[in-house]
Amino acid sequence: MTGGMITVERQTFSGRIALTVGVILLLTLPSMPFWASSGYIRWAVELSCLIAIAQMWNLLAGYGGMVSVGQQAFIGCGGYALFILAGNLGVNPFLAVPLSVVVPVVVAVPVYYLLQRLDGPYFAIGTWVVAEALRLLISNIAYVKRGSGLSLSVMAQFSPHEREIGLTILSACLLLATVGGTYVLLRSRYGLALTAMRDDPVAASSQGVDVAKMRFFVFLLSAAGTGLAGAVYFMAQLRITPSSGFDPNWSSICIFIVMVAGIGRLEGPMIGALLYFFATRFFGEYGAAYLVGLGTLTLLVALHAPGGIWSVLTGIKDWPWFPVRRILARQ
Amino acid sequence: MNWVDAFIQGLLLGGLYAQYAIGMALMFGVMRIVNIAHGDLVILLGLIGIAIAALTGAGSGLVALLLVPLGAVIGWLLQRGIPNRVVGADPLPSLIATFGLSIALQNLMLQIWSADPRSMSAASIGTMSVPVGPIYVGVLPAIIFVSAIILTAGLHGLLRHSSFGRALRATAADREAAALSGVDTKGAYALATAIAVAILGLAAVFQAARTSIAPADGGSQLLFAFEAVISGGMGSIWGAFFGVMVLGVAQVVGSRLDPGWGILLGHVVFLVVLAMRPQGLGVSVRGAA
Amino acid sequence: MPTELASRPCSTPLLGSCRFAKVVLSDGEDISNVPAHKLVRKGLALVPEGRRLFAGMSVEDNLRVALDRASMPVAHEVRWTVGRFFALFPVLAEMRHTDVERLSGGQQQLVAIGRSLMTQPRLLLCDEMSLGLAPKVIREIYDRLPEIRSKGTAIVLVEQDIALAAASADRIYCLLEGRITLTDKASEISREQIAAAYFGVHK
Repeated sequence: MTGGMITVERQTFSGRIALTVGVILLLTLPSMPFWASSGYIRWAVELSCLIAIAQMWNLLAGYGGMVSVGQQAFIGCGGYALFILAGNLGVNPFLAVPLSVVVPVVVAVPVYYLLQRLDGPYFAIGTWVVAEALRLLISNIAYVKRGSGLSLSVMAQFSPHEREIGLTILSACLLLATVGGTYVLLRSRYGLALTAMRDDPVAASSQGVDVAKMRFFVFLLSAAGTGLAGAVYFMAQLRITPSSGFDPNWSSICIFIVMVAGIGRLEGPMIGALLYFFATRFFGEYGAAYLVGLGTLTLLVALHAPGGIWSVLTGIKDWPWFPVRRILARQ
Repeated sequence: MNWVDAFIQGLLLGGLYAQYAIGMALMFGVMRIVNIAHGDLVILLGLIGIAIAALTGAGSGLVALLLVPLGAVIGWLLQRGIPNRVVGADPLPSLIATFGLSIALQNLMLQIWSADPRSMSAASIGTMSVPVGPIYVGVLPAIIFVSAIILTAGLHGLLRHSSFGRALRATAADREAAALSGVDTKGAYALATAIAVAILGLAAVFQAARTSIAPADGGSQLLFAFEAVISGGMGSIWGAFFGVMVLGVAQVVGSRLDPGWGILLGHVVFLVVLAMRPQGLGVSVRGAA
Repeated sequence: MPTELASRPCSTPLLGSCRFAKVVLSDGEDISNVPAHKLVRKGLALVPEGRRLFAGMSVEDNLRVALDRASMPVAHEVRWTVGRFFALFPVLAEMRHTDVERLSGGQQQLVAIGRSLMTQPRLLLCDEMSLGLAPKVIREIYDRLPEIRSKGTAIVLVEQDIALAAASADRIYCLLEGRITLTDKASEISREQIAAAYFGVHK
């Protein structure tokens, strides 16, 4: 070993490009109402929510080690919180969106307490039960009109153009919070702790990582991000019902996205969300046949390439968009 | 509300759920395989059974005799098609894989059969009921309940006392050590899955005869089966049986209190059990050795 | 019945996780590619490192799993049965219905040996039996080995305790990186020779 300083490199070339592209996209989003058609704006908002939810599921499963098939619980909570705050309680809808995060987080606390002792599939089923229980509970409460759901009629006070501006800004904020937030988290020392926890909880704990607290932290973060996405999504929908808000299909989507595109990496959920979004747009008209294909694809990927399609690709070339590793380099 | 009647009807409903739960107890409780498509397999078998009945005019009894071996074959093929690596310590691949299978199956059935609910006629048994004391007990539900008891006892005995049962439990405990002791682990799992799905063949007939089935129904029964197995104690067949009875009674009592509360009460009871005794249920617990 | 092993006999290859280069039995049969669960039919049984008993099952069930699968043709008088095993180890007989997880380390080791014996092996491979056990317990187990051998089973011990190995075996083999570096009758080998072979001095 000859002389020369050793530095820790955190960013790679591909990472720098992706970061720049990402910032540009984030800034473009709120500008869309001024040049894009309403149809494309709706797409952009929906895609943002999809990416956010997938990213949060990925954080929970890939880094927290908790596979959940019940995230729709928080989507519904976020959505309903928004509708109650804005509709019943008269809060400004655009302000109500970030506020509505409180509800999913508050719900997440007892849910985690209930499920924390469970491992693997038992945890997953527990989350499913909780989501179903919430759905049924909401269906029975008169204050939120039971099964018929709520409408966000207060949005009528804004013009369509104003609504679009608000939604695109919120979508950009959503992406910043979820994708950006996860990136920042993983690059911090908490990220190191999470990766250690994922790889070997016992070893991590022996190195001083408070595994239980970290898991709880990740669960809450994931609930918050998912709830926020739910609020934004349903603000765009203008209507929420127990079956749409707590739809188990959300979990299917998460699984498709993250498993097909790769779990435990930041790029995976984004690529997966894009793939899923456009595949559904193009093939959705084939209805059930398309879903058969999607299901079979998931099955095959799970059996033969558990790391997802992205892992197959990175087997060829390692070009991370959001590098979270630290590489030792010689100056 | 007539509590006795609610209790009895709850037990009878539990008998129907038990058909799902017993196979689940074997696959999930003993083999630790998460099969999300468990419910969809029942629907598939049921739809095939209805088609057979329509084509040949066969009665539900004969259809059951055909569906059980068909279920066994499907189960065996399912297990043979799954690579070793999926059945192991990490539950994620089997969870995701069967999830994909479930979606694919549901939509395949939707394509072939359309979304309409169908049912099978059980001749006169379907509508008969017998007065037992102050309440009426349906004959078909009673038959279902009794068959649930027989199946549970049979499976329990098979696991505890037969050489196959020992081999299966050994494989689930330590796969490599079982292989070293001469157990054909892949074959044992394949046979166990065949048995689990064969039971579903029977469940399909009961379900189609007692209520109705539609391609999208797979998921609703599934959750109760999982809940029963978890709350009854992993690896315990009788535990799953009693778990499912509790859930059935909870559901009936709930629905009598308020029509919308039926299934919800079932889930709530499960969550309460989970809260009170997560350790004692034998569920895999974080941090335990 | 000596077994010629042409590469390192680490026991894990038998579990399928790595491969033998080539394994040939003394009668010339190549068993390199035989799957794990069929090896017992060739008369080869492994007592794995760490015992690897079936948790949640009783002592008797652990034995029966192997006995159910025993297909070696063995004369009735020397055939290992659950009864014979318990006769050899009466303490375990009292615990026949106890969950194996409740047994002490030494008792578990005996059950593990018993489980392998139930497959009626011609050759018993014992991997690191002394790991994690108190010296007194190890002594008790090793004292029993001659009785097992007297029933016609050859035993290969993989053992890191040299003194123990030297005291119990007829023949000693030292292996280093896949090669036999030293072999002789136990009575003919000195500790210095073993140490030299172990550290690769002996070429």
